[in-house]
Amino acid sequence: MVIQKEKKSCGQVVEEWKEFVWNPRTHQFMGRTGTSWAFILLFYLVFYGFLTAMFTLTMWVMLQTVSDHTPKYQDRLATPGLMIRPKTENLDVIVNVSDTESWDQHVQKLNKFLEPYNDSIQAQKNDVCRPGRYYEQPDNGVLNYPKRACQFNRTQLGNCSGIGDPTHYGYSTGQPCVFIKMNRVINFYAGANQTMNVTCAGKRPHQHRNKGRDEDAENLGNFVMFPANGNIDLMYFPYYGKKFHVNYTQPLVAVKFLNVTPNVEVNVECRINAANIATDDERDKFAGRVAFKLRINKT
Amino acid sequence: MSQQTPEIYSVELSGTKDIVKTDKGDGKKYRGLKNNCLERKKKNHKEEFQKELHLDDHKLSNRELEKKYGTDIITGLSSTRAAELLARDGPNSLTPPKQTPEIVKFLKQMVGGFSVLLWVGAFLCWIAFGIEYSSNKSASLNNVYLGSVLVLVVIFTGIFAYYQEAKSTNIMSSFKKMIPQQALVIRDSEKKSIPSEQLVVGDIVEVKGGDQIPADIRVLSSQGCRVDNSSLTGESEPQPRSSEFTHENPLETKNICFYSTTCLEGTITGMVINTGDRTIIGHIASLASGVGNEKTPIAIEIEHFVHIVAGVAVSIGILFFIIAVSMNYRVLDSIIFLIGIIVANVPEGLLATVTVTLSLTAKRMAKKNCLVKNLEAVETLGSTSIICSDKTGTLTQNRMTVAHLWFDNQIFVADTSENHSNQVFDQSSRTWASLSKIITLCNRAEFKPGQENVPIMKKAVIGDASETALLKFSEVILGDVMEIRKRNRKVAEIPFNSTNKFQLSIHETDDPHDKRFLMVMKGAPERILEKCSTIMINGEEHPLDESTAKAFHTAYMELGGLGERVLGFCHLYLPAHEFPETYKFDTDAMNFPTSNLCFVGLLSMIDPPRSTVPDAVTKCRSAGIKVIMVTGDHPITAKAIAKSVGIISANSETVEDIARRLSIAVEQVNKWDAKAAVVTGMELKDMSSEQVDEILANYQEIVFARTSPQQKLIIVEGCQRQDAVVAVTGDGVNDSPALKKADIGVAMGIAGSDAAKNAADMVLLDDNFASIVTGVEEGRLIFDNLKKTIAYTLTKNIAELCPFLIYIIVGLPLPIGTITILFIDLGTDIIPSIALAYEKAESDIMNRKPRRKKKDRLVNQPLAVYSYLHIGLMQALGAFLVYFTVYAQEGFLPRSLINLRVEWEKDYVNDLEDSYGQEWTRYQRAYLEWTGYTAFFVGILVQQIADLIIRKTRRNSVFQQGLFRNKVIWVGIASQIVIGLVLSYGLGSVTALSFTMLRAQYWFVAVPHAILIWVYDEVRKLFIRLYPGSWWDKNMYY
Repeated sequence: MVIQKEKKSCGQVVEEWKEFVWNPRTHQFMGRTGTSWAFILLFYLVFYGFLTAMFTLTMWVMLQTVSDHTPKYQDRLATPGLMIRPKTENLDVIVNVSDTESWDQHVQKLNKFLEPYNDSIQAQKNDVCRPGRYYEQPDNGVLNYPKRACQFNRTQLGNCSGIGDPTHYGYSTGQPCVFIKMNRVINFYAGANQTMNVTCAGKRPHQHRNKGRDEDAENLGNFVMFPANGNIDLMYFPYYGKKFHVNYTQPLVAVKFLNVTPNVEVNVECRINAANIATDDERDKFAGRVAFKLRINKT
Repeated sequence: MSQQTPEIYSVELSGTKDIVKTDKGDGKKYRGLKNNCLERKKKNHKEEFQKELHLDDHKLSNRELEKKYGTDIITGLSSTRAAELLARDGPNSLTPPKQTPEIVKFLKQMVGGFSVLLWVGAFLCWIAFGIEYSSNKSASLNNVYLGSVLVLVVIFTGIFAYYQEAKSTNIMSSFKKMIPQQALVIRDSEKKSIPSEQLVVGDIVEVKGGDQIPADIRVLSSQGCRVDNSSLTGESEPQPRSSEFTHENPLETKNICFYSTTCLEGTITGMVINTGDRTIIGHIASLASGVGNEKTPIAIEIEHFVHIVAGVAVSIGILFFIIAVSMNYRVLDSIIFLIGIIVANVPEGLLATVTVTLSLTAKRMAKKNCLVKNLEAVETLGSTSIICSDKTGTLTQNRMTVAHLWFDNQIFVADTSENHSNQVFDQSSRTWASLSKIITLCNRAEFKPGQENVPIMKKAVIGDASETALLKFSEVILGDVMEIRKRNRKVAEIPFNSTNKFQLSIHETDDPHDKRFLMVMKGAPERILEKCSTIMINGEEHPLDESTAKAFHTAYMELGGLGERVLGFCHLYLPAHEFPETYKFDTDAMNFPTSNLCFVGLLSMIDPPRSTVPDAVTKCRSAGIKVIMVTGDHPITAKAIAKSVGIISANSETVEDIARRLSIAVEQVNKWDAKAAVVTGMELKDMSSEQVDEILANYQEIVFARTSPQQKLIIVEGCQRQDAVVAVTGDGVNDSPALKKADIGVAMGIAGSDAAKNAADMVLLDDNFASIVTGVEEGRLIFDNLKKTIAYTLTKNIAELCPFLIYIIVGLPLPIGTITILFIDLGTDIIPSIALAYEKAESDIMNRKPRRKKKDRLVNQPLAVYSYLHIGLMQALGAFLVYFTVYAQEGFLPRSLINLRVEWEKDYVNDLEDSYGQEWTRYQRAYLEWTGYTAFFVGILVQQIADLIIRKTRRNSVFQQGLFRNKVIWVGIASQIVIGLVLSYGLGSVTALSFTMLRAQYWFVAVPHAILIWVYDEVRKLFIRLYPGSWWDKNMYY
């Protein structure tokens, strides 16, 4: 009848779009004239410029509240975590003895990781400290910067030091070394003035623990630890932070597995025994401990 | 049909042909659908339709009727035959309009609006899990949970919306009173009372005064019967019914009574000729159900809004999916991003909020006597631009009332307001004493007993409308009428009949010394005048001469011209010597004089407008709403009422008025000179739809008189062609098709028929047109407030979306989790957004024009732009500030976060180094991430408080509006804070919700941004007020 509007042909739609994009009668581009576009762009330029400035300002103010050397809060890091080297995908250490390539990447990583521990570098940069005591360097009113670090020599890792080692940390012989390290936490007095050490055991993961015989302990076999007993000395603590504790060398514990049952996946768990580090956090599986899988494939 | 009569009268009411014709013309899509429906329906019932369209029973003789329906007038049907017929025709009741099955309604809620997007999100979650699971059996179940949560959200909001809808529908169904009607029927030669549903064609029924007519009935015999056809034809006057065939048109003939009309007085015996849906009423009802229901304006607006938001969500989602894939993210991760973006973009709680807001308004309106059946109709009244109002019962009181008196050569005005409280005309004249006596005595109406405490105007009366009017009139002025009648004992009476056109009674007087009888008479004025030789002026009898007769005629014409029904009154004191106390009056032999009486006065009655209507019409006018009267009544009456209520304003003229003023022929008047028009159904019949459009567009003040139901439909359609939102008010069955067709149908709660109530979207419980104005006001307010609610809700979507975009592009640890977003959308934001519904109007909303359909949108470009790109962005920045603060103070400075995402999320990396050289396990990081979520959540929450406050107004300053006037806003803010506190400190230990206990000071980090938002918005409003119409106003006012 009078109005015929609901159904538009395809051509009409295209035509309308064309007109929307550029309307030659009103000189409108996308529904606005040139001046209107200029206005709107100018507005947003100013407005967003202002917002950026505002945000920058508030961020700057916020950054004034954090100090350079210690974070404001450390409540999340009450219990340091443990970690292994080589750092592998899903923490699976798989060694095919006959297949060089399978472990060569681990060896490369370890070489690189242990380089700062070379005795020469340590001697050059770090102090020899008295073992069994925290190496405290308080500021006492004056900024004590940079802070000194204690030596941890590569040779302390004995058979796992990899120095002049034809077995490549034991990987080529199926007796691999795995290095345990404890996460750095600023101003953390690990061990609460008592000795602490790392222990390892074959242990199936939590969820399978009650099923049948625990074969992992048997399959793991013997291992040796360097330094002896897996000790970590107090002198490496406290840690003062990246910026201040420039050459800080993290203490390590190396575990050399001597006769792992080949061709079986073995679950290993290492934990630290220290008076002030809980190792039974239900949620954080890496609080004071580390679990990894070891598999030596031999033909 | 077996009986072929040469002239079969086609009942015009059905009108299907006309509709099909109009439909063909305009090729709208949905019209087409409706067309199909009608066509299909027509095919199914083609035969039945033929039968329905023709009604010739009124022309048949009793014998022919008996033959046709196989019945016997004396003995009635046999029970077995009746049972057969009942089985064939079905019960005698109207099929209720087809209801959408509940399950369909429910499913509609499940897939409507944003639900589809959320379903897609949920399925993507499960697909993502499936892919992950197929490659890694120990895949985390997070995605399954998220998917399930999304589905739960959809189901929950769906159930909620469904419940809200159902609740408002229930109000209505409780409204339908289902009292089974009984009918007195002769079957097997016995009188039985059976439920009227069991009536069948051919039944002989008896109906007495006060009963509802149980089916369409051909009258076989009657005694003084009058029926009220007002619900069918709109005539307020009772119609006499008898067995004579008086008119070709079955609607006009006297020997047919229609289903659902009421018998006011007398008795009828009749034969049922149509039952249930085949009755005229049933037919109109089916016409109503054939009319497609239009989408409500607010539904269109919400759909439009959903399209915008869904469009933004989908396009950003897809855009970033592509970006993510080209940034070498795994497809799986990209899918997860997509889900996050969808969830962030969709205001999950909004539709539920809108429903609540609407039902709150519905409740508020119900308190003001507007019962809303369909929630969405709440807003429709607000956008209404034309109201087509029925006259009888809506604009008028639907009862005859004395409006004018003429005696002593003078016209007096009587008070016609609802309670007749102040009758101001001069009552000192002795003529009035005589007149009042006639009014009181020459009247058969009586109050029903047992209503001593009911106000006079509300008392129920036995008697017809005019007598009732006179009875109440005299009761108000003179006091106890029954007592007066008792004192003036009636000795003889001739009731009114159509041949005499007068009513007469003879009384003893209440003066004990006056032994004369008083004869009083009332009737059609010209008839009464014929019988008079004298006229009473100032209590003195004067001979009736030319000049007094002329005065009488002038008065009569004048009152008649007001559309009023005029009655003449006269009396005669019978001389005592001729008619002693013992005289036996014989009304058949007429042994008393009925001429040379003394004329006393005229009295005119009208169904007067409700006292609140003129004011309401004025208010509608100033609100830019055109009020059109559509009635079945006479043009003169219609016009008179229209004038008295202001539908035709005092100074505007119709073409006929101009012609009379200039004394020229109507055809010579330039028809566009007139502002007002009175159009009758007859004229309308011959008009093309273009002409109808022309009339509707060009006249400001229009009255349609003598219209039929489907002409009402045509008028409504005409209005809708003008792109107007049309409200139709009505009470009768005849209104129901138009009620249904209208954008909003408003039925009368007291006087309204069930059919009208069924077809309507809204019911006025007090039958008061003025309630519509309240409705309009509430509707406009809710539209404004919905804008505010939506703007409020949309704002935070940007703050929820940005984290995902930044997460993808810059690689920050995820600032806010999907679950956390849901807690904002469905938790903290719900009560505040509802609180905005309680906001008062910013300015006088009744002084602005109705909003233009499809132009003044609920969600327009400025609203979206301002919410998304201005406030939303500020909010995002503020929330990011809180997030960065938390990370920086825990050890991750902002710079270190960039591109940290991949390492951060690796489960086996348990020695991730922060800015200070400390190392973090995965769980420690996860906990920090949740703290980040909580921080971001709190950041949004704090700024949403500012957002809520600024959304109180759109133009005025918040301080002009009053910060504390709307208490609910503060309840909302309190709820926001309490929910936030509970989530952070109460449920902080529940890992699955990923909330943590946040340090107290982080709650205040975003406060500067919140203040900025407030200040910025105040500046915006200030400029809008300072420079109306400027570039700023155009771009910043939503």
